Amino acid sequence: MSKSPQRESRTFLVGIARGAAGALLFSIPMLMTMELWHLGSYMERYRLFVLLLVNVPLLIFLADRVGFERTTTLTEACRDANIAYGLGILMSAGILVLLGDIKFGMPLSEIAGKIAIQAVPASIGALLGRSQLGGSSNDQDDKAHGCCDEDAAGGGDSDAVPDQLSTSYGQELLLMAVGALFLSLNVAPTEEIILISFKMTPWHALAAIMISIGIMHAFVYVVAFKGTHEMPAGTPWWHAFFRFTLPGYIVSMAISFFVLWAFGRLDAVAPTQAMMFAIVLSFPGAIGAAAARLIL
Amino acid sequence: MTQISRQPHSEKGDPHWMEWAVGIFSALLVLTIIGWVGFEAITEEDQSPTFRTVITRKEAVEGGFRVEFEIENLSTRTAAAVVVRGEIRDGDNAVETGEATIDYVPAQSKSYGAIIFSSDPGEKDVWIRGAGYSEP
Repeated sequence: MSKSPQRESRTFLVGIARGAAGALLFSIPMLMTMELWHLGSYMERYRLFVLLLVNVPLLIFLADRVGFERTTTLTEACRDANIAYGLGILMSAGILVLLGDIKFGMPLSEIAGKIAIQAVPASIGALLGRSQLGGSSNDQDDKAHGCCDEDAAGGGDSDAVPDQLSTSYGQELLLMAVGALFLSLNVAPTEEIILISFKMTPWHALAAIMISIGIMHAFVYVVAFKGTHEMPAGTPWWHAFFRFTLPGYIVSMAISFFVLWAFGRLDAVAPTQAMMFAIVLSFPGAIGAAAARLIL
Repeated sequence: MTQISRQPHSEKGDPHWMEWAVGIFSALLVLTIIGWVGFEAITEEDQSPTFRTVITRKEAVEGGFRVEFEIENLSTRTAAAVVVRGEIRDGDNAVETGEATIDYVPAQSKSYGAIIFSSDPGEKDVWIRGAGYSEP
């Protein structure tokens, strides 16, 4: 289908607007969280830097899956990731100014830190907005087959998310990492995460591990959500459990440790206690990881 | 490999051996975590928080004299709102007292803080100790 340059730029602008909407939708809870403002100003800069860097490959990967426009090359994915990061920064800055959290006369490093930390979830949100809010990507006047169109046969190549693609195993794990990171960032800065782990006994933690893994598996394979995964007939359930669910939980644990480290929660904390923090944080993390496999 | 189509997604029947390798490795890690936490659950004694405080640095600052300390919780139970009291003692009399409250001192972990006295203790003794806590 050939498009005129004008239509192409319009499509692109609509994509940008969806990205901005996504950034807003997915990051507003964090933009209104006090702990994240504080973290932005006092967090050690090298940890913030690592967090910002880790976000880059994840964004490129996400952009490759659900870009502003259907991407075919790595360059385009990088461009989309770049746009998403930029949107994330702009939206964070705008909202923080609106909320009066950034004011004139604040030290530059405090302002930069506050925006930077919020830009991570906002940029992920920008890309998610593209895939979740977008229906048919390049035309409104076309017969509207939105994102919830069940009619797979009719879903031509103009959908926001490509209809048919084969993801490698590594991509599936990366997808879970993005989901886990996003939900972890939501809750990790709050004091509740460590408070909960102090209230829990090791028995509670054991139960939390089992339930997290159970929920992960059920989300993707049992509960019949849209986008649920099916095993080929005759494959025992534990095939998927070993190949996807358990690695997914480990990915979520690793992300939890990373986020806890980035936020300075692990400093001078005993290993067992750190493990408890990670188990608590992996509970939402695991749900995020499983959800990412369904919605993306 | 996962074949993603509009719906439903389906996993391939003949996975690469890497998938199984990662799966088994993950299973071992999960078992390690469960074993570790399970071991803690079985062997954990119900101790009450006990503290050890160590003065790590003393220096004059503007408007006073800062004594930095670390407080270690030796028990397996976390203490919250830990009040750390510092005293400058001249013989048996406390010349000056100061206080700091630490949000949490997790089990078997350390937290850090400082007390700022108004005067330089000089040759006098400085005592720092945990004076109270609440359960989280």
